[in-house]
Amino acid sequence: MYRIMLQKLWHKKWMNLCLLLGSILLIATVVSFPLYQSAAYDRMLQDEFKTYLATEGTWPTMNSMTVLSKKDPQGQTISRMEEFVAGIHQELGVTEKSVNYFYSLTQSEIRSAMERWETDGLSVRLSAMTNLSDHVKLLAGEMYSDTGLTEDGAIEVVITQDAMVECNLLIGETLIFKDMRDINGKEIRLYVKGVFEPVIDDSCYWQVDESKLTNACLMNMDLFHSMFTGENAKKFTISCSYYTMFEYEDLKAGQVEKLMETTDYLTQESSFRSTMDEPPYRSILDSYNRKLERIQATLMILQIPVLIMLGAFLFMISGQMYDMERNEISVIKSRGSSGAQIFRLYLYQSLFLTLVGGCFGIPLGGMFSRILGSAESFLEFNNSRVLNIVFTKQAAIYAGIAMLVTLLIMTLPAIKHSRVTIVKLKQQKALKQKSWWEKLFLDVILLGISLYGFYSFRKNSTALAENVLKGEALDPLLYISSSLFIIGMGMLFLRLQPKIVQLIYLCGKRFWGPASYASFMENIKNGRKQQFIMLFLIMTISLGMYHATVARTILQNACDNAEYLDGTDVILQENWTAVVDSEGHKTGDYVEPDYGKYSTLEFAQGYTRVLVDRAATIKGADKSRQTVTVMGIHTREFGEITWVDQELNNRHYYELLNTLAENSGGVIVSENFRSKLGMKVGDSISFQNADGKNDSATIVDFFDYFPGYAPTQSALNPDGTVSTTDQYCIVGHYAHFRQRWGVTPYEIWIELAEGHSSDEVLAWAEENNVSLKKYVSREDDVKNTITDPLLQGTNGVLTMGFIVTIVLCAVGYLIYWIMSIRSREMIFGVLRACGMHKGELFKMLMNEQIFSGVFSILAGIGIGKLTSSMFVPMLQQAYAATNQVLPMQLVVNSDDMVRLYSVIAAVMVVCFAVLILLLFKMNVAKALKLGEE
Amino acid sequence: MKNNVLIEISGVNRIFPVPGGEFQALKDINAEIQRGTLTVLRGRSGSGKTTLMNIVGALDNPTSGYVCIEGRTLGSMSDRAKENLRRKEMGFVFQAVSLIPTMNAFQNVEFSMRLAGIKPGKERDKRVEECLKLVGLGNRMHHMPAEMSGGEQQRVAIARAIAHHPKVIMADEPTAELDSAMAAQVTRLFKEMTRKEGITILMTTHDVGLMDAGDMIIELENGQRIS
Repeated sequence: MYRIMLQKLWHKKWMNLCLLLGSILLIATVVSFPLYQSAAYDRMLQDEFKTYLATEGTWPTMNSMTVLSKKDPQGQTISRMEEFVAGIHQELGVTEKSVNYFYSLTQSEIRSAMERWETDGLSVRLSAMTNLSDHVKLLAGEMYSDTGLTEDGAIEVVITQDAMVECNLLIGETLIFKDMRDINGKEIRLYVKGVFEPVIDDSCYWQVDESKLTNACLMNMDLFHSMFTGENAKKFTISCSYYTMFEYEDLKAGQVEKLMETTDYLTQESSFRSTMDEPPYRSILDSYNRKLERIQATLMILQIPVLIMLGAFLFMISGQMYDMERNEISVIKSRGSSGAQIFRLYLYQSLFLTLVGGCFGIPLGGMFSRILGSAESFLEFNNSRVLNIVFTKQAAIYAGIAMLVTLLIMTLPAIKHSRVTIVKLKQQKALKQKSWWEKLFLDVILLGISLYGFYSFRKNSTALAENVLKGEALDPLLYISSSLFIIGMGMLFLRLQPKIVQLIYLCGKRFWGPASYASFMENIKNGRKQQFIMLFLIMTISLGMYHATVARTILQNACDNAEYLDGTDVILQENWTAVVDSEGHKTGDYVEPDYGKYSTLEFAQGYTRVLVDRAATIKGADKSRQTVTVMGIHTREFGEITWVDQELNNRHYYELLNTLAENSGGVIVSENFRSKLGMKVGDSISFQNADGKNDSATIVDFFDYFPGYAPTQSALNPDGTVSTTDQYCIVGHYAHFRQRWGVTPYEIWIELAEGHSSDEVLAWAEENNVSLKKYVSREDDVKNTITDPLLQGTNGVLTMGFIVTIVLCAVGYLIYWIMSIRSREMIFGVLRACGMHKGELFKMLMNEQIFSGVFSILAGIGIGKLTSSMFVPMLQQAYAATNQVLPMQLVVNSDDMVRLYSVIAAVMVVCFAVLILLLFKMNVAKALKLGEE
Repeated sequence: MKNNVLIEISGVNRIFPVPGGEFQALKDINAEIQRGTLTVLRGRSGSGKTTLMNIVGALDNPTSGYVCIEGRTLGSMSDRAKENLRRKEMGFVFQAVSLIPTMNAFQNVEFSMRLAGIKPGKERDKRVEECLKLVGLGNRMHHMPAEMSGGEQQRVAIARAIAHHPKVIMADEPTAELDSAMAAQVTRLFKEMTRKEGITILMTTHDVGLMDAGDMIIELENGQRIS
């Protein structure tokens, strides 16, 4: 049996190679999905933590616990806590970074051994922190010793600078607790050995509130343990804080679930729940999980058409092969082989192909996922960013399923064929059949479903935007509608194609030469045989075009939006010092940092100061105050470094700025002042800045869009509904506001010169000791947009899907052609014997290729364009960021289309080349199988 | 009588290279085929009938010797000239089914006329009908090959072979796949055509029952003419 199988495989080696290719690609595609996911999610998780650390400044993966040990007779409270804390990271399954305790006795009154009056009535807390010496800088004196005691038995302590000032303590002073005694009833003496300040570094050691340290005397932790805990704890009340931190960098996406479960158990159910605070990472993981679900579902949906095409490809090739072997099968069958035997033969054959497919497909899947992770845009990759691909258990499950499906797809047609005897075969061959889908009107049904989807989504397009805010995944129906539309249109074309060919034939019936005539006949009568490959071609092209447009549009719009919202390349704001009057109240004036230093920004194309007050107010209609954003600009400088597309405001951006420039006391305001508040040009408008200073100005113009201005803001309400609020904006002259409001903090807007990076601005700021309150980099924001896992994953999946379908299409088309020529070799021989030239035969085959291939390509292009223009706007909406403010624009990149067309052209050229090759190799006499030699 | 000779076969040898030597398929064949006759080429399998037929039909060249048709030596003709000869002056009937499966009977017959360059029009259509009626398929003109029996298909092939008024028809085992009654019918048809249309027919067969039907019989054995 195995020998027969291997012989069979070898006999049809090209077909089997195609099947192998199909199974490799199918397995690789399926496997790449979990591989990419786990790698991308690891990165996403790290990003979430890093963002938290950067914005909050505290360690994200930390648990903190507090407990009070109140004269605990056995000291069990502390020992149990310490035991728990020591094991917490093992329980959570994470890598420990650090575990620190802060123990503190209750505040107690002291007196100085030096009998200084300044210490009268002073009380301090005797405290201890683990690893304190590693995280302090001594300002005076020394650290406590290893024993923690002086020679005469006083406890050595160190204090903060604040404590020294606040409590008026001296280094070298001995303090004695008035009421508190040690376990043996002896008085407790403290020796102030040093003054320190906390070293704030990236270790996030300092979790203890600084206010707790202003009256704390910190002693050696080991000594604290031996004096106050265990048996001794019965006499003291100790407040204990524990800070346990673990490494987030080692945390993998796969651990998240367990981590969340264990954390929830510890904080909500365990016996330690009352001691634990809600850890900061819990909410981070929650938001990560929400994002994850959205991405996972979206990417899955996007992969469906590719997987279906892969399955269809395998089905087609194996079907084609069974077709070729029909004679053989039916002969074997008629000679008495059982259906099961035949089925088994094909099962082994498929199993062999699937296993070999798995061997190559799984590593290829790893490569695919790397491609996914380096996708920058459609068909564009950045190899510098490499995902760390790890083979997970999930990937193994996916691989198993993919192989099983591959096996099934390849074997299933055998069931049908194993029942066919030679008699049935002859009967079947005589039948002229219409395709089953044509009889079922599947094309019309599919189009109906997709158009229903299209119209219902278009009717409530706001729902799409709301879903984005709610963090929901891409609606599968929306994407499926577009895919169904493509398939439906493709099938409709196939239904019409023979009619079109017939029409062309009838138009020139009297003029067609024998070659054209033969090809017309072949196509009209036998065209159905090629429907599958034609549909494949149509789908490859139209899906390719559609996906290219989707990917480009989504990404381009997201990047445009990010660029628009930033306004310019870099925005800085320095920390300004507010002027304080003698009583400590802010006067509303500020000390202006040196503006002249910005002239040293050599890498800036231009810069300007912009007053941005986001908390200004105007009097609303019902006398309530309405928040507005007030911007004060230098019109010429501002105009030089910012830009708004003409179509957004329906006029040139400079025209708007010029109107403002011509009116020194005027302002331009956002369109909603006119539409919502009923104002018009010439009206005077009064407003207050954030510090409550008044101003009024005349409206000289309205704008829809202005750099950095979002006309509306949508937010998700707690009850799950989405509310959209209008944003009001007033833009006036900087000089005017400075005159009215004095010097108020402004931002520096910088446009970088060609070829310079925003990092240089940061470096410059560091070099010049500029302390920054705000730093916005357009470059970083755009980069973040591109690397957003959802957008990147989408680009990757679409690109990969495109490559896979192109490969399949090329191979499928070639196979189809070779098969079709091979199966008609005898007829070609007859035609040649009847005196047809090779050239005529070639012309005939060319015509056929035009009717099937070129027609399909044209149809694919048409369908692709139509689908893009119909569905991309909706799909883009489903992808839009929550802060999308710019109107969506359909982006078609001509490079993508050129790439698409050139790949298709290459496939066609190869097909023609193969055609010529086959024709020239054809031996008339041999083809006819004339005679007996 | 000499001017009535259509095909002259003279000293034809055909040697095929085979692994480890060569195989002589035809040895010094000489024959003259008269215009308007049915010539039967007979012999067992492997006797060289088809090789000779292919050489006469300008599908193959002899290793030595020559074949003349109406005084034109095939060996000295270009490929294109041979193709035109086959298109216009010859008709072929093959052993296996040789109809174009995507054309019906009418179109199949018409196709050989298209190839021969006969202009479309009423006359051509009339000729197609005439030929199909001649082979007894006047009522099945618009059937597809798959809808006809083997014998019917072969008769369509014969109609196709004669439609463009060729000078000679090469029929290679035209009756091999037919039952004896059908075979006799086909042979009768050939004879009838030699008389009615004045066509010369060269037909190979290994069917002993049909061997006497021809006006002339060339018998081959191991590549040599024995009668």
